[in-house]
Amino acid sequence: MSRPGRLLRYVLARLALAPVMLWLLATLVFLLLRLAPGDPVDALLGTRASAAARAALRAQLGLDQSLLVQYGRFLLKLLQGDLGLTLTNQQPVTEVIGQTLPASLELGAVALLLAAVVGLAVGFSGMARAEGRVDLAARLYGIGTYALPSFWLAMVAQLVFAVWLRWLPVGGRFPPTLLPPVGTGFYLLDSLRDGLLLGDWLPLQGTLRHLALPASTLAVLLSGIVANALRLNLRRAMASDYVEAARCRGLSERSLILRHALPNALLPVLTILGITVASLIGGALLIEVTFSWPGVAARLQEAIGQRDYPLVQGIVLVVAALVVAVTVTVDVLVALLDPRLEF
Amino acid sequence: MALVPLLSLVAACQPRRDPDRLIVASRNRIDTVDPAGASTIGAMQLLSAIGDPLYAVRSDGSIEPRLAVALPRTSADGLRVVVPLRRGVRFHDGTPFNAAAVVFSFERFLAIGTLSYLLGDRVLGVRALDAYTVELRLRKPFAAMAQLLSAVNLTPVSPTAYRPYSRRQLSNRFIGTGPYRLTFYTPQQQRLEPFKGYWGRPPANRGLELVSLSNSTALFGALQSGEVDGLLSSSLEIDHQVELQRQVQRGRLRQAAGPALVIVFLSLLSDQPPLDNPVLRRALALSLDRDRLIERVSQGLYAPLRSLVPPAVPGGTPQPWPRYNPAAARRLYRQGGYCAGRRLPLELTFRSNVPSDRLFALTWQALLQRDLADCVELRLQGMETTTAYRLLGEGAFPLIVLDWMGDFPDADNYLVPLLGCQQAEGERCRKGGSASSGSFWTRPGLETELQRSATLSGAARLALVRRIQRQTAAASPYLPLWLVKPRIWVRPELAAPRFDGSGRVLLQELRRR
Repeated sequence: MSRPGRLLRYVLARLALAPVMLWLLATLVFLLLRLAPGDPVDALLGTRASAAARAALRAQLGLDQSLLVQYGRFLLKLLQGDLGLTLTNQQPVTEVIGQTLPASLELGAVALLLAAVVGLAVGFSGMARAEGRVDLAARLYGIGTYALPSFWLAMVAQLVFAVWLRWLPVGGRFPPTLLPPVGTGFYLLDSLRDGLLLGDWLPLQGTLRHLALPASTLAVLLSGIVANALRLNLRRAMASDYVEAARCRGLSERSLILRHALPNALLPVLTILGITVASLIGGALLIEVTFSWPGVAARLQEAIGQRDYPLVQGIVLVVAALVVAVTVTVDVLVALLDPRLEF
Repeated sequence: MALVPLLSLVAACQPRRDPDRLIVASRNRIDTVDPAGASTIGAMQLLSAIGDPLYAVRSDGSIEPRLAVALPRTSADGLRVVVPLRRGVRFHDGTPFNAAAVVFSFERFLAIGTLSYLLGDRVLGVRALDAYTVELRLRKPFAAMAQLLSAVNLTPVSPTAYRPYSRRQLSNRFIGTGPYRLTFYTPQQQRLEPFKGYWGRPPANRGLELVSLSNSTALFGALQSGEVDGLLSSSLEIDHQVELQRQVQRGRLRQAAGPALVIVFLSLLSDQPPLDNPVLRRALALSLDRDRLIERVSQGLYAPLRSLVPPAVPGGTPQPWPRYNPAAARRLYRQGGYCAGRRLPLELTFRSNVPSDRLFALTWQALLQRDLADCVELRLQGMETTTAYRLLGEGAFPLIVLDWMGDFPDADNYLVPLLGCQQAEGERCRKGGSASSGSFWTRPGLETELQRSATLSGAARLALVRRIQRQTAAASPYLPLWLVKPRIWVRPELAAPRFDGSGRVLLQELRRR
């Protein structure tokens, strides 16, 4: 079979396995949630209410049914694309995900973009003179940002730029004095559209101001990984035989790096970025909590505390499905770029 | 460093703010604005600004008719309560407020209310006697009906808007009669605009933004930087509260405190060894150095408590639990067979996600080690709140730290949930509030007294509440620890805020000076 054929077979196999994996995951989450002590009634009422009132609320929420009946209903609804209603406020789970997932994706995308720019620049900067001062600084930056606890950096950034300098807001996703733009849920896109179509740039300014601190903090944390990966792979590529051969042919250093070493060094970086994207889909919990960013990770954490079974199940499933999609896409992309890979 | 110029560039676009619209921040994420579903402090605070209950509790504890025009009239047998309603009131959608709206709201709450037991445990039904009079039929006489009807969950809602939601919640919109309309809602932010057709005094500001920030540091920073005008204390860490207090003293902020209605207490498993021995429970009651504990836990922000009913609620004084007395405690431990080379081992469970619980547990352990090390040994165990609540009614904890706030400020609301007992064997409660609160203690005649207390009023009721408290203190199935006051801090350019008697800030009074 030809290489494109083998690649297609690989992708189809991955996609065919995805529903099985998601079903297993859904079952596992369903069971684990119910194995944990305490249920939504305990979380909602605490020590309040009589046993009869608690039983009535359990019945109202459908928690008085047997586990098998609850599981059957959950699967039946899931097959119809219905993730159910949250137990805390009876809002459709899809609606909650629709509100929180774009926030996490937007934060992740901007942070990743910044991280890629900064990380590639830092990783590349040491190439001029190996083991020189710039190279050392780049190495220290890579190790330092990788080792920094994210909540610490986030709190320091918040203290410096929001509280002391008063440049940026402490938290939230949008200025409370303005109405958020309506549309895709990605405020950056929606407010840009409003700016272009209506000439109202205030929402875009507000979005950027609120996005700046969490995205920069996350970008700093991620950029170290990118910088280190690029630096190491670029160095390895520069020391390889094909670059040496090109050098012997009289090519300039600039051409050696940009045309020969860099494309190969970027392949592992692309894989790393793919893994990072997959991890960011689920949200960056500590960043979201520190900057009060209304993302999916912070909502999931709250839902677990509230024992909101349908919401936890829904978020985990949707995020897992997206992670599967992203990892398959990255695999395909790497395969297309790297002819050495076999399937 | 490369990102700093970018940040400064973005920072240059500072938006302008209307100075008469105020921003109030808290940690309260509000998942629903439906009175039938609201159960958190934040939701109650919001609903008190956008809705009106039939009655409200003034800051001095007296009852003020709001959507009612007079106090409820009770029939001779105490089983029927008639409430006359205010005329000329309209809901935010223009629907007239009347008896039919109250009947609709109460029946809806009974059918789908998360806290439906509030009404359902006491009220059999509600009907309109005429367009502006409702009658409630009670299961048994209940004297504190006006206080019960001050509960935010019983805020009337527009039948027109809520008819399609009579059997499910409407979590993201609210149509009531309050001084503000809710014009924008997300769980993290709510926008309140003054309601032009409001029947009462209009708000003193041009509107409010209520925002939720998810951690104490962010909230503290937001008030410091002037990003928000006011900050509510719920879930704010003690260190931040203490620093805000300091700034109040220096004139950099203003502050107001509400009535202390949250009680923190220890629940003692009184039907199993070793704490089935009342002598040991009494010894523990004498082993609590509340002043020192509060100093360490809250740096003096909390007030010591030696009663189950808060002093702000009628019947809450005098406080009958004993003060710290290690010498008397030692005598009782000896009487119980300890101290002489034998230490009483006790496991204290604290809620691991409540920072003050952990601090209390560690401090009390150290204080006992210092003063009564030869008599008692405290072992600590942390547990997540929801898990602890599930296991509480199963008698899993010999000693556990808990807190409680009544749904409306009345002694009944503190005594019944902790002492109520529907099924007892001697001094052991098998079913009822006492069992679900982890103590399982009762005494013959207590349930009858609690039921009688609900029917009495005035001096007779006060005397009975005090007697119940005295007798409970003597048995010590619970050990009250401290009281928590709700607080608000505002920027110095704002006028001093006020709380009502239910512990909620009067948001409509917030204004710049």
